[in-house]
Amino acid sequence: MRPLLNNTRAIRHIRSYTYKTEPSKYPGHVPTNCLQKLFLAAGSGIYSFFNPRRGDLIATLGEATALPPLMYRLRDVMLSDPTGRRILRERPRITSKTLDIAALRKYPANTVGKVYSEWLDLEGVSPDTRAPVRYIDDAECAYVMQRYRECHDFYHAITGLPIIIEGEIALKMFEFANTLIPMTGIGAVLAPLRLKPKQRERLRTIYFPWAIKNGATAKPLINVYWEEVLDRDVQELRDELGIEKPPDLRQLRKLKISHL
Amino acid sequence: MGSTTGRKFSDIQSDVYDVVIVGGGVSGLTLAAALKASPYTSALKVALIEGMSLAPATKWDPSPDQLSNRVSSITPASQAFLQKIGVWDYVYPERVRQYDDMRVWDGVSGARIQFDSFQLDAAGAPMAYMTENLNLQQALLESLAEAPGDNQVKIFDSTKVEQITNSTDQLDDVDLSSWPAVKLSNGSTLRARLLIGADGVNSPVRSYAGIESRGWDYGQHGLVATLTMEWDDRQDIAWQRFLPTGPIALLPMPGGKASLVWSTTPKLAAHLKSLDPKAFCTLVNAAFRLELADLNYLYTRSDPEEIEAEFEWRDGMLPMEDEGAKFPVRVVEVQENTRASFPLRMRHCDSYVAPRVALVGDAAHTTHPLAGQGLNLGQGDVASLMSVIERAVVRGADIGDEVVLQEYWAERYPANHVMLGVVDKLQKLYCTDSKPVVALRSAGLEVVASMDWIKKLIMKQATGI
Repeated sequence: MRPLLNNTRAIRHIRSYTYKTEPSKYPGHVPTNCLQKLFLAAGSGIYSFFNPRRGDLIATLGEATALPPLMYRLRDVMLSDPTGRRILRERPRITSKTLDIAALRKYPANTVGKVYSEWLDLEGVSPDTRAPVRYIDDAECAYVMQRYRECHDFYHAITGLPIIIEGEIALKMFEFANTLIPMTGIGAVLAPLRLKPKQRERLRTIYFPWAIKNGATAKPLINVYWEEVLDRDVQELRDELGIEKPPDLRQLRKLKISHL
Repeated sequence: MGSTTGRKFSDIQSDVYDVVIVGGGVSGLTLAAALKASPYTSALKVALIEGMSLAPATKWDPSPDQLSNRVSSITPASQAFLQKIGVWDYVYPERVRQYDDMRVWDGVSGARIQFDSFQLDAAGAPMAYMTENLNLQQALLESLAEAPGDNQVKIFDSTKVEQITNSTDQLDDVDLSSWPAVKLSNGSTLRARLLIGADGVNSPVRSYAGIESRGWDYGQHGLVATLTMEWDDRQDIAWQRFLPTGPIALLPMPGGKASLVWSTTPKLAAHLKSLDPKAFCTLVNAAFRLELADLNYLYTRSDPEEIEAEFEWRDGMLPMEDEGAKFPVRVVEVQENTRASFPLRMRHCDSYVAPRVALVGDAAHTTHPLAGQGLNLGQGDVASLMSVIERAVVRGADIGDEVVLQEYWAERYPANHVMLGVVDKLQKLYCTDSKPVVALRSAGLEVVASMDWIKKLIMKQATGI
């Protein structure tokens, strides 16, 4: 009797859909096709929904859902700005090696560097906790995603939104309005389903309106060369970028205020 | 009998012509040459009036490394006509470059289409001949000078048309009333059995005939320039990229040169004209090679070194295999004083004919240069009008009779209207970067690009054969 899967052509045909991939385009690139991205997105999405602390899964979700037109749009935002172009050209990376955190701690109060280092200490995180980009198929767009990811902590610092889940969601909405990276939008819409009604109300009435308004009207944050503005006054930079500081989330939580 | 103006009979007779052509551009001169070349019409008495001096064309002494920026693309149909009337033999062949491949793409989406003569089942047959307008003009004037002495076209150059009126004269038994009388700046008045308006967009002949011209301005300027390429690409390819500000085309010319036609906003055209020559070349390269975001950024810069550095960085990221296949060889130099721009518009006359008047070329219609059809539509007009005049002469009809001329209008108007319309729609379709429009037009282009029979059909229309 003939084995069920003896037809090698059929197998090759199936393989051509599941395994066939492009050659690697940059170090660390894992080429994937549409179907594979779909699985990656579904898997990482579902798992990170129940484990929001799994930053690596959220990163994977971000890459698997990064629709090329939106990534090219964000890259074009950078290409249209002198600083953005310089960032793309020099491709700086933010790690504890490239950034001297100890020195930042000694910066004058209210400078970007000081606020950032305070924020790192307060939240107990380090710039090295960011995973490298693997699943974006264009080398330059991969760098744009990497840059967004490494600058994410600066966004926390400049907005003052804490790393607790509510702050994270509010910031995601802000980022979506500012960068249109799909994952940030997906996160901002789906993650609140896990919250308590009070928390959801706080997001809906206070933080989402702030995030959408500020994200959409502020200058593109992707074009900020953070390494070069560390000694600048944080409020001055906020004014320059067109960002209003949102109400202190930790305070509102303490006072159990869910709308202003 | 006798003249109502009181002038002598012989005065009038010397100033009476069968055909008076106003305009010494390519269309007007081609009609004159065609009239002299045909055995039926060579005996007609023909005058040609040109406001400017024709000496630059008659005494044209071209240097091999200089090219005029006034260049035209001549379709095989136009070339065949020029050959038929014996003009093509006078064209300097070393100043003609033909191309047999055309690559056109969407600057927003990158969707492409390639036309090559292999698809026309005519491998190596040219799609068009590129040459300077001066080369054509000198060939036309040369061929006119070859006609027997008593039968030559009387050329009045550096002579302006001051006024066109209806003649009131009576000549022998011919009633000259209703014949156009063309008063010239040299004092003489020519009476024409048939007056031809080959006098361009603001045609005085058209105003005289009271023919309405309709259309619109594209709000774009056509920037032309003569460029030197990094090396002479032996592939004879015409390149065109549709940018949202207008198409940019690079057409191969002899000796590793190329002719640029860059349709863009008037503001950008002015900026590009004033830019440092080296930076201008870099921007031309960028316009063919780089992303729109890069190009839009470079438009805002004016420091040549910065432009160069930005270009080199982005250009260095392009895949090697695209070189020479997806965009042209780099431009390295722009010939001095060849950057010029002019407003682009669409115009079409309600009619090409009136009693004793016919319009040809730009006087009858003006189009966007994106399809390289401007001169060729005029050549088509001349060929059609010629056959109408020939038939009238054979039948013994009056060549100025509107009924005779109507035939010319009936033949050319629909053909020109279709071409003007298609070019106009293409212009509108491509002058946007609206996402849904780009998606639709790119899908459409890819369908066309994958179907050879449609491409053949388009090529047939564009080459006229």
